[in-house]
Amino acid sequence: MITAEGLVKRYGAKTAVNDISFTVRPGQVTGFLGPNGAGKSTTMRMIVGLDRPSEGRVTVNGKPYAAHRAPLHEVGALLDAKAVHTGRTAYNHLLAMGATHGIGASRVREVIEMTGLESVARKRVGGFSLGMGQRLGIAAAMLGDPSTLILDEPVNGLDPEGVLWVRQFVRHLASEGRTIFLSSHLMSEMALTADHLIVLGRGEIIADAPVADIIAGGTRPRVLVRSPHSSQLADLLAAPEVAVIRSEAGVLEVTGVAASGIGDLAAQHGLAIHELTPLSASLEEAYMALTADAVEYRTEAVR
Amino acid sequence: MTTITPPLAHPSQRARSTSLSFGGVLRSEWIKLRSLRSTTWSYLIVIAISLGMALIMSLSMASGMNGGADASSMPAADQVSLVMQSSVFGVFFGQLVAGVLGVLVISGEYTTGMIRSTLTAVPKRLPALAAKAVVLFVATFVIGLLANLGAFLVSSVVFAGIDVSASITDSAIYLPLLGGALYLALISVFALGVGTMIRSSAGGIAAVLGLILLVPTVLQMIPAEWAHDLIPYLLSSAGLGIFTSTTAEPAGDALGAWLSLLIVLAWVGASIAGAAVLLKRRDA
Repeated sequence: MITAEGLVKRYGAKTAVNDISFTVRPGQVTGFLGPNGAGKSTTMRMIVGLDRPSEGRVTVNGKPYAAHRAPLHEVGALLDAKAVHTGRTAYNHLLAMGATHGIGASRVREVIEMTGLESVARKRVGGFSLGMGQRLGIAAAMLGDPSTLILDEPVNGLDPEGVLWVRQFVRHLASEGRTIFLSSHLMSEMALTADHLIVLGRGEIIADAPVADIIAGGTRPRVLVRSPHSSQLADLLAAPEVAVIRSEAGVLEVTGVAASGIGDLAAQHGLAIHELTPLSASLEEAYMALTADAVEYRTEAVR
Repeated sequence: MTTITPPLAHPSQRARSTSLSFGGVLRSEWIKLRSLRSTTWSYLIVIAISLGMALIMSLSMASGMNGGADASSMPAADQVSLVMQSSVFGVFFGQLVAGVLGVLVISGEYTTGMIRSTLTAVPKRLPALAAKAVVLFVATFVIGLLANLGAFLVSSVVFAGIDVSASITDSAIYLPLLGGALYLALISVFALGVGTMIRSSAGGIAAVLGLILLVPTVLQMIPAEWAHDLIPYLLSSAGLGIFTSTTAEPAGDALGAWLSLLIVLAWVGASIAGAAVLLKRRDA
């Protein structure tokens, strides 16, 4: 359980995180979404005390992270896959991390096995690929068998198999009753992995709801219509609340009217329809709609 | 990377029964120090420099003596002084390596990002700095002592050739050997503090070496009495006093071994205090 109350983080004149409050609950995967620079990593660093909040407070299982007797048993954090000395072997890195809490070599071997690092454990981390670095970061986070896991972009740089592994891994950990707080840029991945979403934009929370609610609420349903009379149909559908996009010849994407309404209208006017498909909204679209005003670094659309 | 192992079904109780302790942090820092090649190299260089410098120094002293008066008829105290000077000569150079190692122990963590792992495991932060200082101090002292003992053996063998001898049970021998090792250990801890404040390898090494090598020379060149008066209180000058003083108490212009040690401790204390304040205050 992570509880943030009125968290603020300023760097000089710039406010990275602006008065956010949220709760991350046990037994589910909570996704943390937001454009680059929205304040996700800063927020995660404040949870484990690496950054000091300018205002407000954040607790883990009722106490500030640093106040716990055994912080690594409370929270495992993967904040940056590169938070490892490149000259040390993976095994020695984990051994040194664990030693602080009296966690011994047998647990180190367990987490190495758990993350599939057996073949490279005795190699220096400097030669690791991004994917192996991520696995090592997850192994380090699991050392203390923590009840809460904070993973910042854990699938960054992983191959499809690794992405699948992380998804199954965090779902399993959540099913054990642990608190999982996961940030990612991959919306499709988040839709498959998370139960609940907190969306951050420009340092503020713009959504905090179950994934299904965000997908349903964030976009209006669209209907794909294929018809030889598409332009006539488009004229008939025209109304203030209806948007019609001609994506290719003979195909319309209609927003604001249900599929049944379009079908009825076509029948009344005797227009043939070859396809009428309600398009389910994706999390990605919902996310884009939510954060449209909150993007820090906007790129020009490709023309 | 093809194995996918499902996570353990039951959280391991064994891992959970432990907690964060200073003893654990000490063990962690010891594992970190010994698992880097830069440590091994630094310590090997300290030993090689001590032995090499003792050999060069004793050979040149011994050959200079053959042409002059019969060395074996020298008073015992002078013989002891010759062997002592030759035995600790390497410390002048060893201090540079100890300083570099001290900086790297922490700056290496900042440049690689390891510091975030360290401070996540030890969120109160200061125990991590303290453990680093203790481990670095003990390891450098032990290596420094081994290096100085080796240098004494090398010098003794060379001087035995011209019938000059000194016993290790003589306090004029074993105190400088211990003092030299102590100074190396204190320099490394001083450098650890500087590295923590500056957080970069290049900057930290430049600051430490600059203070040891450059500042005494610059003060020497300033044509003012106050500048010359300051020189004995510099880290490297006072450090020299720890292992080359002929007196324990201040005598004349000489500060003596104990006062020299106090001055070096003040430098180390200031460096570690500054490091502690900044480490606690800054975002990692």
